[in-house]
Amino acid sequence: MELTDRELWTVLHGLGLGTLFLLAFGGGLAGLYSLKPQLLTEEGIAERTPRLLLGSLVMAIVAWATVISGTFIAYPWYRATPPEGLDQAVQSEALRDFPRYWLLASDKTAEWHKLGMEWKEHVAWIAPFLATAVAFAVLYYGAQLVRRGEIRRAAIIFFTLAFLAAGVAGLFGAFITKAAPVA
Amino acid sequence: MQDMQTKPNGPVAAAFVAAGIGSLVLGLFVVLNEISPDINSFLKFDANYGLGSGIGPLSGKIALGTIAYLVSWVVLHFYTRGKEVNFGRWFAVALILVFAGFALTFPPIFEYIVHLFPEA
Repeated sequence: MELTDRELWTVLHGLGLGTLFLLAFGGGLAGLYSLKPQLLTEEGIAERTPRLLLGSLVMAIVAWATVISGTFIAYPWYRATPPEGLDQAVQSEALRDFPRYWLLASDKTAEWHKLGMEWKEHVAWIAPFLATAVAFAVLYYGAQLVRRGEIRRAAIIFFTLAFLAAGVAGLFGAFITKAAPVA
Repeated sequence: MQDMQTKPNGPVAAAFVAAGIGSLVLGLFVVLNEISPDINSFLKFDANYGLGSGIGPLSGKIALGTIAYLVSWVVLHFYTRGKEVNFGRWFAVALILVFAGFALTFPPIFEYIVHLFPEA
């Protein structure tokens, strides 16, 4: 039982950071949703504001870490070009080391690249933009956010959109890795 | 109407709109990369400027999207600092920009746009 370097990095990128992102999203969303004056005492607000800040900051940092590691570490392995002479029209064992080309070599798998990877590699980068804006709003207002319903609601929407962007990327990442592992 | 017990909302509105601008710029370069071979070559920041290795034009798209996000955030932050803005309107603009960014990164949509340009 062992993991190659590539498998380790893809596990860290997808499973490790992805799990952290999911946890931070769940905690942050619950914190934002329940941050209503009618639901909380002053003590309750003071108690949960640091946790909300931590959740939103972790989500933003993890979102950046995930897209940076995915783009600069895992994506070049996926996109590696086969050597001259290797038939790119047949899904051979030799072509398996070049996942993008392996997927494109068959009509049955080409859409994993044309739709899945083409969307994943781009849409994922929207998640850190949105998550950072939310983290800034929580950092800026702190406990005062409870009196800013419109900003709290906007933060929930951005938080959810960040999760959707990351979710699309994560889901396609899992399916593509299953179809054509970079390891 | 500003809640006088809280800080002005301008800087938060700026952060939200900046995220939308970053998303839109990313989406625009996804489309432009497919339309123009010159832009495709320009966006290869890995080969042109050493930003990563083996990433191709994705390096330029994410760099320009991120730069647009950060620069617009700084500019809008200074513009809105200390101001109470119509947050609903700013957030609506931010949402439109974000949805446009989402849409332009979706392959069936950007491929449809690319097909509108015969030379592509």
